[in-house]
Amino acid sequence: MAEDFDVFDDGAVGVYLHLPFCERICPYCDFAVVAAPELGAGREARYVSNLLTELKARRSDFEGRALASLYFGGGTPSLFTPQSIRELALAVGAAFAERGDDAAGGRVPEIETTLEVNPSTIEWARLPDFRAAGINRLSIGVQSFNDTLLKRLGRAHRAPIARETLCAARAAGFDNLSIDLIFAAPGESQGDLARDLDELLEWEPEHISTYELTFEPETPFGRALAAGKMNSCDEDLAADMTLQIEGRLKASGFGRYEISNYSRGEETRSQHNQRYWQRQAVLGLGMGAHSAEARSAGLPHGARRANPRRLGEWEERIRTDPARTGDEERLSVAGSRGEAVFLALRQAEGLSALRFEAEFGGSPRVFFEAEIEAMIRRGWLIEGGRVAGDLRLSDLGRLLADDVAAEFVAAV
Amino acid sequence: MMTIDPALIRNFCIIAHIDHGKSTLADRLLEATNAVSERDKKDQFLDNMELERERGITIKAQTARMNFTAEDGKTYVLNLIDTPGHVDFSYEVSRALSACEGALLIVDAAQGIEAQTLANAYLAVEANLELIPVVNKIDLPSADPDRVAQEIEDVIGLDAADVLPVSAKTGVGIDAILQAIVDRIPPPAGEATAPAQALIFDAYFDSYVGVVMIVRVVNGVLHKRERIKFMVAGIEQEITRLDVIDPTPRSVDSLAAGEVGMVIAGIKTLGDIKIGDTITTAAKGAAEALAGFQEVKAMVFTGLYPVDSEDYEDLKVALEKLKLNDASISYEPETSAALGFGFRCGFLGFLHAEIVQERLEREYDLDLITTAPTVRYLVVPRDGDPFEIESPAALPESAEIHEIQEPVVLATIHVPSDYLGAVLGLCQDRRGVQKDMGVHGTRVQVRYELPLNEIVTDFHDRLKSATRGYGSFDYDLVGFRPADLVKLDVMVNGDAVDALSLIVHKDKAYGRGSELTKKLKEFIPRQQFPIAIQAAIGSRIIARTTVRAVRKNVLAKCYGGDITRKRKLLEKQKAGKKRMKMVGSVEIPQEAFLAALRLGDD
Ligand SMILES: Nc1nc2c(ncn2[C@@H]2O[C@H](COP(=O)(O)OP(=O)(O)OP(=O)(O)O)[C@@H](O)[C@H]2O)c(=O)[nH]1
Ligand code: SF4
Ligand SMILES: [Mg+2]
Repeated sequence: MAEDFDVFDDGAVGVYLHLPFCERICPYCDFAVVAAPELGAGREARYVSNLLTELKARRSDFEGRALASLYFGGGTPSLFTPQSIRELALAVGAAFAERGDDAAGGRVPEIETTLEVNPSTIEWARLPDFRAAGINRLSIGVQSFNDTLLKRLGRAHRAPIARETLCAARAAGFDNLSIDLIFAAPGESQGDLARDLDELLEWEPEHISTYELTFEPETPFGRALAAGKMNSCDEDLAADMTLQIEGRLKASGFGRYEISNYSRGEETRSQHNQRYWQRQAVLGLGMGAHSAEARSAGLPHGARRANPRRLGEWEERIRTDPARTGDEERLSVAGSRGEAVFLALRQAEGLSALRFEAEFGGSPRVFFEAEIEAMIRRGWLIEGGRVAGDLRLSDLGRLLADDVAAEFVAAV
Repeated sequence: MMTIDPALIRNFCIIAHIDHGKSTLADRLLEATNAVSERDKKDQFLDNMELERERGITIKAQTARMNFTAEDGKTYVLNLIDTPGHVDFSYEVSRALSACEGALLIVDAAQGIEAQTLANAYLAVEANLELIPVVNKIDLPSADPDRVAQEIEDVIGLDAADVLPVSAKTGVGIDAILQAIVDRIPPPAGEATAPAQALIFDAYFDSYVGVVMIVRVVNGVLHKRERIKFMVAGIEQEITRLDVIDPTPRSVDSLAAGEVGMVIAGIKTLGDIKIGDTITTAAKGAAEALAGFQEVKAMVFTGLYPVDSEDYEDLKVALEKLKLNDASISYEPETSAALGFGFRCGFLGFLHAEIVQERLEREYDLDLITTAPTVRYLVVPRDGDPFEIESPAALPESAEIHEIQEPVVLATIHVPSDYLGAVLGLCQDRRGVQKDMGVHGTRVQVRYELPLNEIVTDFHDRLKSATRGYGSFDYDLVGFRPADLVKLDVMVNGDAVDALSLIVHKDKAYGRGSELTKKLKEFIPRQQFPIAIQAAIGSRIIARTTVRAVRKNVLAKCYGGDITRKRKLLEKQKAGKKRMKMVGSVEIPQEAFLAALRLGDD
């Protein structure tokens, strides 16, 4: 039984490629993005070539690891041509000799390969070519099927385009679709949300991500909120919406496997995203990408690397020191313990006491006795399950996941 | 080493109502005597505390020494002490007076005599000082120096012909003042050959050299390296450094009778030395100590608590150090269920309380919470002897109380007759009882009996705004009077927040109660359970509001791979929680206390 738990490094690596360009920047977005109404061929070629340089320079950090997943995130990666995407996928496959095959012959990887797509006319036309380029999973930024809400969110697309894109995706043969939905948008009612959920389910996606609109301080929405020019959704309404989504999706056969992620079955969970939550190695390439370096003797809790969030800065690093594009953050043991708990609790399986003990040398209770007791008493945490000492969030606790999580990190 | 002939020394202070131009006049005197170089010149040179410069007022008396060659061709040493004008700092003035033989009494040529002009003039007369009346700001278009000179004669009894007109702004009349200081103020009377006696009239703590004392040598001579004795404290020490302040410290070998200077004697333990002590020589010392200073009685009390309870010891040390520099503060340990360990501190007034808090925060790098200011009440119990309380927490159950008496002051208000109506209205609103009224030309002097707790916070500001800055007031405590006072408690989920308890007049309890509960609601974040916020008098609830229970706190996004960012957000959230104070099971953030406590003054 022990071998189930003492493997906290799967020995593989997921590769994330950040393609930061968007036709226009949504007013609530605080991702690392670059506005590019027109992504010219020159700019695209330069970005691709820089990514290839970075891949080559950094792959030695992950030497000997099998490729577990590949993810093209953004930004709007679908603004890139299928040729570019194919070139990148091939290069990644070759770098990690995926499944022992000699990928030099031009085989694209057979692991989960996701492309984030925004609904738009150009992109849906390219979907068949993306499929040919090795993409086998699409994450589509639908956000809502309600034009009023889309407009209020400052999105570039409208519902009919989203529908066309979904049709095109199925027509192109994609059998692993994820749809993103935003809720608690300004002025959104539970009725609006119910209609969004109904339509979302009609499309029978394999995977759904739901995000409550957050007002990040450094965004136009965040500033409007601070200036009193905008109101965020009432806390009670947002809570009711969360429960509404959970109820509706569960009733339709979806399981929530992470706070904001649902899938129809275990095989359609996002392999790539789970790597972050399970603290597995990820190589992040491109402007603003994050890497999680594998644990080693020298770095018992691993390290992280965050690439510069500005394009110019990242390009500069590629020129000067492509093996060290981002600054390293070494995790302390206390920092790691906290993360291990809160990341695990965000997932349906919760925190495995044995696995935790294998890494930190003591059960969660050894380190967090008082916190766990308090959280259980409040009815936010449930202890036990498959193995004594395992922890997971209760229904109530899930709504208050950040309050629970904060108990396990160090105060600064 | 030659000592200065006392006949060539003049010690004087500058006194006036607030803002009449004392510090600006001091600038001109320092310049005229070349005590300050062109390069170091700045407005209100002697106001060197950051807070003084920000607020444009003098808080600490400040000493400076100048050389002046008079009409007789001799060079005199003039020792100036600039004093604060605000009533809350009058203790500074009274100590400065003890180091001087004369005082410049400054009166603003446009404003005329105001409350603090009189109060300070009387202090100087009581201390047997020679007064030189000066009318300042004669450059102002609205200046009326002749009228003000006449007013000085009528009200204070100084000959109008002796009044010197100046403009501290333009420098007109400055030389005449310097000459008058030499001519009219007597030289110090002490004897250089007598056993040494030096009065410590100010002090501060310096982290390198320890306690620095500002002294006036009354008799004898103090030498560097000499063993000295502190007559009240009863300890002996060696002088490591002697300075004169002209106006930056300059080392000297001795200080003789009549001189003012700085003594450093390697004292690092706080509490050993107090202002008012007498320094004499260890060998062949004086038989008697000089008269020290009267202890001043605090008027306003607040609780001072460190925001971070781990800073309690730091706060204690900071208070000890500050007490050396400001003997008018008093403090003793106090515990609050809501705020933890802190101190109940006494101050001379509300501005004083505010300044002390700010000095503690800036000079000692502390974060503090101050509870609402209160005055000293006299409680007459049903059984037993009456006793005084300085904190609402000390008030017994109402069933045990026969009556509560509040301190009452006799306030003297000076105001141009145009604004009289507004002033009477204000006093009425503050439960005042008019005593008498007198008219001097276009100015009126009214006297009111007012409860002290009605004037400690914002009376001065209200008076200023009701009179466009032309009104002024001064007050003396006259005693205790029974009043209809109640203790107002604030409760969260049934637990009293002791730090927010107030003693208020019954008629004002409801207003304060609903203000307080509303403010708290704004600042207490939603928690796992609903929180009832109530204001109560005894068991009677007079205001109530509720903070709903938290429903949701989860960031949907986990930021792609940016786990670090998520962790940092959580760490911040946790740190915020740590700064909260627990009342029962309710977490109350610092901001809630600050907002509630600030309520009274806006
Ligand atoms: N026009 C004019 N303004 C003056 C004159 N003397 C002082 N002032 C102004 O009056 C204000 C107050 O001057 P201060 O010298 O700070 O007054 P103060 O008496 O030391 O004030 P406190 O120490 O706070 O009691 C400042 O704005 C000065 O510039 C003067 O002769 N003429
Ligand atoms: S499309 Fe997505 S990445 Fe681009 S600006 Fe909008 S929210 Fe940000
Ligand atoms: Mg001044």
